[in-house]
Amino acid sequence: MAKSGFGFRVSGFGYWLWQKGLQLVHAGTCTLKRFTRHPTPDTRHPIPAFLATAVLLFIVGCGGGGGVATGQFKPINESAAVFWDRQTTETAELLRTIADEFNAKRPGALPVKVEHTGGYKEIFQKVTASVQAGALPSMAVAYQSMTAEYIQARAVVALEPLINDPVIGLTSSDLDDFFPVVLDTNKYPDSGNKMYSFPFCKSTLMLYFNKKVLADAGFDGPPKTWGEFLEQCRQVKAKTGKAAYPVSVDCSTIAAMIFSMGGEVASGRQTLFDQPAAIKTFELLETLAKEQLAYQIPPGTYDDEMALSQGSAAFTMRSSSGRTSIALLMKDAQDDWGMTAIPQDDPAHPSTVLFGPNVCIFNTTPEQQRTAWEFIKFFTSPEMSVRWALGTGYLPIRKSAANNPDIKKFWGEWPYNRAAFDCLPFAKSEPNLAGWQEVRTLVETAETEVLTGVKTARDAAAALKQKADAVLARQ
Amino acid sequence: MIRRSILYFLLLAGALFTTLPFIWMATTAFKSLTEAVSPTLVWWPAEWQWHNFVETFQAAPFGRYFFNSFLVGFVVTGAVVLTSLAAGYAFARLDFHGRTALFGVVMATMMIPFEVTLIPNYVLIRNLGWYNTYAALIVPWCANAFSIFLMRQAFMSLPADYFDAAKVDGCGHLRFLIRIAAPLVKPAMVTVGLFAFLGSYNSLLWPLIVTSEDTMRVLQVGLTVFSGAEGVRLHLLMCASTIVILPTVALYFAAQRYFLESSLGSGIKG
Repeated sequence: MAKSGFGFRVSGFGYWLWQKGLQLVHAGTCTLKRFTRHPTPDTRHPIPAFLATAVLLFIVGCGGGGGVATGQFKPINESAAVFWDRQTTETAELLRTIADEFNAKRPGALPVKVEHTGGYKEIFQKVTASVQAGALPSMAVAYQSMTAEYIQARAVVALEPLINDPVIGLTSSDLDDFFPVVLDTNKYPDSGNKMYSFPFCKSTLMLYFNKKVLADAGFDGPPKTWGEFLEQCRQVKAKTGKAAYPVSVDCSTIAAMIFSMGGEVASGRQTLFDQPAAIKTFELLETLAKEQLAYQIPPGTYDDEMALSQGSAAFTMRSSSGRTSIALLMKDAQDDWGMTAIPQDDPAHPSTVLFGPNVCIFNTTPEQQRTAWEFIKFFTSPEMSVRWALGTGYLPIRKSAANNPDIKKFWGEWPYNRAAFDCLPFAKSEPNLAGWQEVRTLVETAETEVLTGVKTARDAAAALKQKADAVLARQ
Repeated sequence: MIRRSILYFLLLAGALFTTLPFIWMATTAFKSLTEAVSPTLVWWPAEWQWHNFVETFQAAPFGRYFFNSFLVGFVVTGAVVLTSLAAGYAFARLDFHGRTALFGVVMATMMIPFEVTLIPNYVLIRNLGWYNTYAALIVPWCANAFSIFLMRQAFMSLPADYFDAAKVDGCGHLRFLIRIAAPLVKPAMVTVGLFAFLGSYNSLLWPLIVTSEDTMRVLQVGLTVFSGAEGVRLHLLMCASTIVILPTVALYFAAQRYFLESSLGSGIKG
């Protein structure tokens, strides 16, 4: 059995069939090109060409996107370093402006071109298809789980040669200026612990709270420990009749809760969902659900943010980048809410989860790779990092941002503006393991089972551990 | 009389129930974000936010998207009607070896989900050099099995005597198809056209995958700009959606009679 990229296993015969299919694609499309570009087509092989195309459609269709990509890929655009991104509206505009400024600094050089390519799912689909087509952009935004798949398809390059390049690389002081966690999250243990991506948009999980609801329940501030959190939820329910915490089911939130309870989610390729911190996390959710202090919101919605803004809930836990959307919802009541670090088991040793995508450089021409890297370096420079953070709500990823006058001014505008940045030094990312994407789904299923009472916390944790370990062992 | 009144009342209630989401969408286009995402159902905006339309059109080049959607939609519709007319007639009226088997193969393509053919189709488009061109948006959708099936059924419902009589008068297959058969299956043609247009007008993933420039993108891709990882600007999304569905609603009302005739005749459920 040969292991292909994108999680497919191809048998010997299947692999041979796949290669033949690709050869037929080449033969078919070359002839079709001639056929479509010349007024008098080459009539020697039109029928075999069309037949070949029909056959290849069948074979490629059966292939389902498997196949092993080897060697270098062609750039999707020879005259520009294309960047596939998912930003929309104002943030997309800001990214394009930054790219324009980068291009203006390098007249005559290969320009960077930002292309909106839908959400992460669409970007992944398009990269997957482009790998098969043999042509890729220079770079694309990607979560670690996506990059792990690209690594298997040999579509991305390790960044160490570029980072250590004496001319265009980063100095050791530059590297020291990044928060270690934002760099570490881009190292892939399954691939020699090399960096295959670079931090792009970073945020941490935060606790958002409605001050008025808390005040009605008799509290003048948010909880610092999980014990206090549970007590505040109980008091909110008792004194206001409101369910305190609408839960957006999410693996990262569970990971953050486990981290904050002093645990880890994995060690090597074994998950730790049967360990005390994980069980405690699920038991807390079980208690919240049983006592009707929490309820699950429909997946993919932002009902929790709405409930918080309308004063029908006391808390929600969301990424710090969600601050801008909650601020929009509460624009007339800016003093009625706040955000802080999530509760901890031991506030002296806090932890939370690091969110956010990275950017990876594809295995195209050296010129495209260098341009992509130079843009990433420019984009993550101290000034740009601050500018991006102020314009988008993501976090500046450099320590030196704390001394930037613009960011200081921003922090001074609202007492909670600094809260997420202060969480960066102790934030941790989820593991960069092949198969983790599947584990994430299992975690969310387990969380739903606990919240809905289908399973007890201990049963859900035990089943999760078993299933997740099986997934990771399969990789 | 009472029974008829009850019937009309039930029909009216059903119609109202069906249109409620559309009414909510249209009124949400004029709401503030807070009202739009409110967990309690807000039917009417407290204050009509006309500037939502300005913001919507500023968020993306919707003018260009409209042009592209219409261009692609109309060309695809014309092509689908032509190919299904020809293929449907051939499968219904021409005798040739392997007709049944070939028709079976065509029908079998209906069983293959779009997701399966996405990657091979993309590879083909890339290798043909059609990436980011109208050809990529149009050519793969110029024929489909469902439309061929629909037209075949329509042609099969025509009495064979029509063709025999035309043949006696010296009429060949092509002339019979154009002058006699096609006008008789007009409702089916309109239905095929309507489905083709709506399919093209509402497609999202394919245009997103095969285009890279705003100048080549279509309306449905434009709607995605209001959904980000951190939330959805529901009021602007509903505003854009209200504008986007207007042509399809107008088209449906214009072709309603043919659509109903053909749907009822072919047993298709909407």
